[in-house]
Amino acid sequence: MRVTAQTKAATRQRILDAAQGLFAAQGFEAATTRDIARQAQIAVGTLFNYFPTKEAVALCLVSEAHARAAEQFAADRLADSAEPLTLEEELFAHVAAILRKLKPFRKYLTAVLDTTLSPLTTLSPLTSEQADGDQPLRTVHLETVSQIVLRHGPEPPSTVALHLYWTLFLGVLAFWSKDTSPRQEDTLAMLDESLAMFVGWLTTRTNQQQNHNSGG
Amino acid sequence: MPTMAELMDALPEPIEETAAQPRGPLPEMLEAWSLRPVPVGWFRRMRVLGSLQAQVGAAYLFHWLRGWFKDADENKRLLAETHWRNAIRVLDSMSYLRGLAMKVGQTLANFPDIVPREFVETLERLHFEAPAMHWSLLKEMVHSELGDDPENLFASFDRRAFAAASLGQVHRARLKTGEDVAVKIQYPGIARTIREDIRNLLLFMLPARLSRDWENAKEQFDDLRIRLERETDYELEARMLAKARPLFREDDGIVVPRVFPQHSTARVLTMERLEGVHLEQFLAANPSQHQRNEFARKILHAWYRLMYAGRLYYADFHPGNFLFMDDGRLGVIDFGYVMEIDDEIWNLFRKMDRALTTGRRDDRLDAIRHWTWTTDEPPTSERMRLCDLFADWCWRSRYHRGEFDFGDEADFREGFDLFLEMVRRRHTRARPITPMISRQQFGWRAILYQLKAKIDVAPIAEEEIRVTGWDRSDYAHNHENHRNGG
Repeated sequence: MRVTAQTKAATRQRILDAAQGLFAAQGFEAATTRDIARQAQIAVGTLFNYFPTKEAVALCLVSEAHARAAEQFAADRLADSAEPLTLEEELFAHVAAILRKLKPFRKYLTAVLDTTLSPLTTLSPLTSEQADGDQPLRTVHLETVSQIVLRHGPEPPSTVALHLYWTLFLGVLAFWSKDTSPRQEDTLAMLDESLAMFVGWLTTRTNQQQNHNSGG
Repeated sequence: MPTMAELMDALPEPIEETAAQPRGPLPEMLEAWSLRPVPVGWFRRMRVLGSLQAQVGAAYLFHWLRGWFKDADENKRLLAETHWRNAIRVLDSMSYLRGLAMKVGQTLANFPDIVPREFVETLERLHFEAPAMHWSLLKEMVHSELGDDPENLFASFDRRAFAAASLGQVHRARLKTGEDVAVKIQYPGIARTIREDIRNLLLFMLPARLSRDWENAKEQFDDLRIRLERETDYELEARMLAKARPLFREDDGIVVPRVFPQHSTARVLTMERLEGVHLEQFLAANPSQHQRNEFARKILHAWYRLMYAGRLYYADFHPGNFLFMDDGRLGVIDFGYVMEIDDEIWNLFRKMDRALTTGRRDDRLDAIRHWTWTTDEPPTSERMRLCDLFADWCWRSRYHRGEFDFGDEADFREGFDLFLEMVRRRHTRARPITPMISRQQFGWRAILYQLKAKIDVAPIAEEEIRVTGWDRSDYAHNHENHRNGG
């Protein structure tokens, strides 16, 4: 029997919906691929045709939410052009938009962080080829960050700057996933501090660079 | 007029050191701590305000710490040093102390003729123009507290704060139902951080319990802790506002803003926005003596009404908390530091009423003894003499016959000098509520001093005190005769 692209997409969505429901109800650890397959009314083997691991399912859920957040952020930015935001405000708004969309997945975010998003899990986190292949989330995210930085300064951020940013962002996500403070308010403070640090560093670097260029 | 340096000199003496004596690590650390800019972090954005006021505030704290340590003998000093280092490290990390230091600075702003002019001007701006959270963070705070973006919850919402609140900031907004409101928003997580830090700090300071000043110091810390905790609990503030508001009738000409509970949480407080100017602006327009007196009367009516009818002690008498409205009404806008008067304190106030009313020295000494637990202290002791002078200064306007000239600089300075003298001689030990009351005394006197008010206080007090139902027949009546020359 020939499986059409449409059927494939529908099955994939069924798996994702089933997984999201089970992760929320039972927790990421307790839910098995068998449970997900049963819930999605497919064979376990079929599930593996779509996702090699449970973590891959989670990553896909997170990536999709992230993509929706990116769209939302772009739309909000266009709609909200009354008063321009500072670099720090814009970076903050970007991550805040992501946290809002990722909220349903917060508790099992660490699973995704450990296995796929961590800077330690890829050999060369900075090469775009690999990022394009395996890490749409990171590519999309850092592309947005580059655009934001470029809107506020003369140059796009260097690969080092992006790597530094990414590490901070993952740190915030890790903190958030374990945050027990009321309404995770500590995460907001952590994000605020992290971005202030990053923007402070970036601005100093840019100024030094400019002085160096104009002096030399 | 003394300089800032002279004021500093008036505070407790530093640890004595000779040139031959190597400087121990602790004094060095304290010194360094007092001189460096107040730690930035949570409040780093406030640095745009300049750090003069914060440095002065920190210097006061430092002097106080140093004075406290002075009496320990050498062994205890060495023993305590490690713990002190830890305590100071914790203090150092409590970066919101910058906010507290600001508060100290704000209190100083109440003394325009005593502290340098430029200093006061910096502080005057500080009361109302301190940006802290940026818009994106603020928006997230509102979203997380109230469940939606400010743009959706309110008909309009100003992105820029128009005032600094305790550990947060205030924004103008309009509700969808049309009311103009002030929305006070707190920095995320700050309330819990304070509680945890103070707990740690007290643990580190346990060895200091050996020192004879421990109780006194602990009271100061408790005062600080209670103040910070109260000021970060917006739900409590909302309750205080709701309790205070109905105490005033329309013809009082005193307004307490209404709270909008559906737009309020422990971290966000939405209140009716009153339109008016603050003290500095009010004075800049050269108001007449009559106008100044009227506002001074209202401030006293408000204070006494809250105390006698509401059993609420309004502790935060800094000019930023009062609004001078165009129509002559007085707005009392900040209820972040209001204490409910418990039975014990209520009974003390009851006892003190006699002294406040008659102005007799014996009554005053009796009240002081109750207040300071010094029942057997002779009236001739140095401590009693100073306490009496200070109490007389605090209460004088209440039993003075006829109009009292609050603008008299010499009188105002006298109180300040007496207080510094008491601090220097360590006669300030008394009930836990005392630091708050001392601060409050200077607060209201400073406002009336700036207003150069000339008013008769006793009739205001007599009018407001009636609601207590206290039997005052044996002294209030005589006192009236006395006042009338009978």
